[in-house]
Amino acid sequence: MADLIIPRQILDDIITHAKELTPYECCGLLAGTNGVVSHLYRTKNIVAMEGAQNLSSFDSAKAAHLERLSSAERAEIAFVMDMQDFSSAKKDMRNNGLDLQVVYHSHPHDPARPSVTDIKIATDYEEIWPKINLPIPAYLLVSLMNSEPEVKTYWIKSGSVTPADVLIR
Amino acid sequence: MIKVRIPTPLRPLTKNQGEVDVAAGSITDLVNTLEASYPGIKSRLCDDSGELRRFVNIYVNEEDIRFLKGKDTALKTGDEVSIVPAIAGG
Repeated sequence: MADLIIPRQILDDIITHAKELTPYECCGLLAGTNGVVSHLYRTKNIVAMEGAQNLSSFDSAKAAHLERLSSAERAEIAFVMDMQDFSSAKKDMRNNGLDLQVVYHSHPHDPARPSVTDIKIATDYEEIWPKINLPIPAYLLVSLMNSEPEVKTYWIKSGSVTPADVLIR
Repeated sequence: MIKVRIPTPLRPLTKNQGEVDVAAGSITDLVNTLEASYPGIKSRLCDDSGELRRFVNIYVNEEDIRFLKGKDTALKTGDEVSIVPAIAGG
């Protein structure tokens, strides 16, 4: 039994989202029931908004790095999810009896594996999910660094990363 | 008292406390009370017009205040408030 089942159409939609935004990072959420994904929610990457990096869990070196870049450059190497979009998605999930299954984002210039920043923030977020009544999601990454997009999904728990077993159908 | 959960990025402002107790009757009141004790926290949460920034959510007992009455959402003793930073990555 796979950890997650993702329909081919939804996987294609994620890749389309990533390509539309490249060279900037895209981000979004997948929801479903019992590990079967049925819904995709695109969310805006608002890393370019003033102060956004200060309220995310970026480590001080990453925050300082982002501070030195232009707005456009920031969105090439980082994402901050629009939490209004997140809340709307969360409400829709609740109204439809769905659970959050996956948080996805793209790496336009880097491989489809979590960066040090991704791991740190996912680890910080572990204590938040239960407090907002959501399960700890898997993390899906789309890399566009090569001509063929690469998609990989991981569990990030207590700072360690393990591949998730995903069935695409 | 209201229990307020402080996320990691804001803990340098709250002397590294992950939870603080605050007496407040509304979210606006709570943010101002936090600001009095922990200067600098308000501007991290709200823009110049006092609206909640798009990269933060505030939940009262698991409900986003955007779906309640926003910053006018009333609070009562025993409520739990979670300040939730944006999901992010690199």
